[in-house]
Amino acid sequence: MRYEAVIGLEIHVQLNTITKLFCDCPNSPGDEPNKNTCPTCLWLPGALPRLSADALEKATLACLALNCTIQPESAFDQKVYYYPDLPKGYQLSQHHKPLARNGWIDIIGEDGELKRLRIHHVHMEEDVARLVHETEGKTPISLVDFNRAGAPLIEIVSEPDLRSPHDAIEYVKALRTQLRYTGSAECSMEQGTLRVDANISMRPVGSDAFNTKVEVKNMNSIRNVAEAIAYEIKRQTESIEKGEPIVLHTRLWDPDKRVTLPMREKFSGPCVPDPSVPRIVVTPDWLDKIQMRLPEMPMQKANRFLKDYGLTPEEAAGMSQERDMSEFFEEVVRKGLPVRRVASWIVTHLMPALRDRNQTIRETTITTNRFAELLTMLESGVINAHAAKEVLLQLLSDDQSPEEIVEKGSLRQVSDTAELEGLIDKILADHPSDVEEYRQGNAKIMGFFMGLAMKASQGKANPKLLKEILTKRLG
Amino acid sequence: MTCHIYTHKETSHISSPREGPLTGLKIVVQPNMSVTGWPTNAGSRALNGYVALEDATVVKRLRSGGATLVGSARMSELGFGLGGDTLAEACSGDEVTVGLITDTMGEARIASAVSGMFGYKPSFGIISRLGMIGLIPSMESCGIVGKHLENVIAVAEVIAGFDENDFSMADEPLPDLGESMKSLRIPSTVGVIEECHRMLNESEKNVFKAGITKLKDKGFKIKELSFENFELFRAVHNVIGSVEASSSSGKYDGVRYGHRAASDKNWNDMYLKTRGESFGTLIKSYLFQGAYFQFENYPSFEDACRIRGGLVRKMSRLLETVDVIALPTRRLMFDATNATTIAETYEAFSFTVPANVTGQPSLSIPRFASDSTGDVGLQILGEHKSDVRLLALGMELSSIVKGV
Repeated sequence: MRYEAVIGLEIHVQLNTITKLFCDCPNSPGDEPNKNTCPTCLWLPGALPRLSADALEKATLACLALNCTIQPESAFDQKVYYYPDLPKGYQLSQHHKPLARNGWIDIIGEDGELKRLRIHHVHMEEDVARLVHETEGKTPISLVDFNRAGAPLIEIVSEPDLRSPHDAIEYVKALRTQLRYTGSAECSMEQGTLRVDANISMRPVGSDAFNTKVEVKNMNSIRNVAEAIAYEIKRQTESIEKGEPIVLHTRLWDPDKRVTLPMREKFSGPCVPDPSVPRIVVTPDWLDKIQMRLPEMPMQKANRFLKDYGLTPEEAAGMSQERDMSEFFEEVVRKGLPVRRVASWIVTHLMPALRDRNQTIRETTITTNRFAELLTMLESGVINAHAAKEVLLQLLSDDQSPEEIVEKGSLRQVSDTAELEGLIDKILADHPSDVEEYRQGNAKIMGFFMGLAMKASQGKANPKLLKEILTKRLG
Repeated sequence: MTCHIYTHKETSHISSPREGPLTGLKIVVQPNMSVTGWPTNAGSRALNGYVALEDATVVKRLRSGGATLVGSARMSELGFGLGGDTLAEACSGDEVTVGLITDTMGEARIASAVSGMFGYKPSFGIISRLGMIGLIPSMESCGIVGKHLENVIAVAEVIAGFDENDFSMADEPLPDLGESMKSLRIPSTVGVIEECHRMLNESEKNVFKAGITKLKDKGFKIKELSFENFELFRAVHNVIGSVEASSSSGKYDGVRYGHRAASDKNWNDMYLKTRGESFGTLIKSYLFQGAYFQFENYPSFEDACRIRGGLVRKMSRLLETVDVIALPTRRLMFDATNATTIAETYEAFSFTVPANVTGQPSLSIPRFASDSTGDVGLQILGEHKSDVRLLALGMELSSIVKGV
């Protein structure tokens, strides 16, 4: 029998608000332990929660970006459990009345077709404290860092519409793109601001049953999500084929051994309405205001780039993937540079350079002005593409003008015919057999001579001129 | 300094109190009200040694109103019921004019009814709870107790009103109690609930009737009302109250303050031992009960929440036909201070829990529903946030008492 996987993802995203969800402490979990705390997030006796308007707005913005319907009324519940990372004995979360329901995200499925993945609901909740396990002498001790306690999260619960690791990768990527666009969240799996739990069950192909599922946690990259799901599909299929029952439980992904290991029975504590946080009533006026803050989203933007700028679908998609990059692109284009040139330089040079440096465009020193200046120099033949690449790398790490960089590095393009002719004559004289081969009809030799000549000019030769001279001399 | 009445007594009043409406008034609180630097154990070993870091909003307002904070009296564990409570005793002497006591199920009203004082439970949401270590957040208010209603009202006027740090309060101004009272029509129609009488024994019935007769004699119109299943108030308070208490007491883990049990096993064992050793029998059984509804019988809790909504609506409807509802404050047969089980506790608080369930204001007036066998306390209930009218009626009735 053939089986298919039924996969649902629960994704926690930390909102990038200035303060925590229920108090004015900085939402900055990475600071020195327990620096960002107050009676409310430490839950000292007599403290009361005060819901952050900023967090509510950012959560709402995120929900809108995921095509959800914001509920007219939502409320916080207490998710009761006792653990040292949660010293008040319950987590404030929205269980009975979530902020938003019925969203969706479109991905390209494995078959290349558009596939709509539904989102069941999105709710707000507070993060818990971080536990640090150490030893004091020989005694194991656990320390609690409350910096993260009370940080605002949203949990995005998908419908079980996903069928493969591919779907999971595309879903997480698309969701991340949408949320980053809103400016509500950073969504970095590496930094823990986006965390994915997967629920996986198997069923015979053609069946529409929902069988016992297994929850998998602890994946800290998109690749790990895909691998953990693939592993779990294989493991469960083998179990079923051996006739072993699937038991509802939670497993942890072990990134070193690349397997999932059982952790505990799936735990679900009671959820009791919280009497201290007032319920959230959304008015149409308020919702309109939030809706207005929603930027043009990547899909629409890509379509506009396609239409307005004549980009290829790949360029348009690449250029609209990140909001900062798309705005950078448009600003450079507005300075009057040829669109295709700008797009291709961003896609083939700027974006790979950022990936190598593991930085976002904002984190570098490049500006639209300096980038435009660089492309202008390239357009007008002051420098060649080779030099331009070198200048680009410098633009990312210091704030000299492209002109300065060119002068200091003597990167100016050599367009002096006499100089280039001398250089070429010497090369041809040094390689008589290759000249002969070219004349016999091996056109590929041209590339070889171009390479030698460019090298001899220390990469500064005007390639167009170089080719002209070579053709003349060889012909 | 501590004694059998006080857990903490302020001996050094470093600066003389400010000039204000409360200058000269001496206030006692309970050790669940945060006063900077005072031990604040909420009557429980679970908070042993916990010292408040900041003044509660109420305390800040008392200070700026010129009041003198005398100390904190002993209280029942976590404020559930009145076992071991000494606030009324502190207030009945000459040393103190007004006491603040968290009214979770009727503590302010019963404590005052027992000792011949006025006890006022304000409407839910008109007095800030910031800094008050509560037990049942959706039901409790900062109650005010005193021999003279004028003082109770003066304190209420200073401490009530919006606090931007307590999100459960409505963001609307509260009328100036003193001023509004002068121009107010004194309520004149009083409803009595038939079903309540049936819950009383013969002698309690007679005492309460004496009070109603007094009202009639003074020209008040008495209207008989029916409130079917009145006893549901008790059940609803019991179920929801214990669930909220269980949640709000979850934080007492002994790690950061309070008693901490030694354990050589693991954190879970330490929690269990700590909580086992920290809580007394009565509160422990209440917290257990709450956990039972949370973990094992959630549908009953949901039922209770739904029924609570029905009770609130029913009470509102009745109050459309009368100005206030009169109830006895307490039973003579059941001593709230000696209740040792949940059932006994609720028996003693049968007539006060409705105002906690609905959030209505309620005032207990002494020496009115009384005769030679005792004083059950005349408890009047008004519509939510009709505190001004209720207190105005209280003043009227208190002058009758004085005149008797």
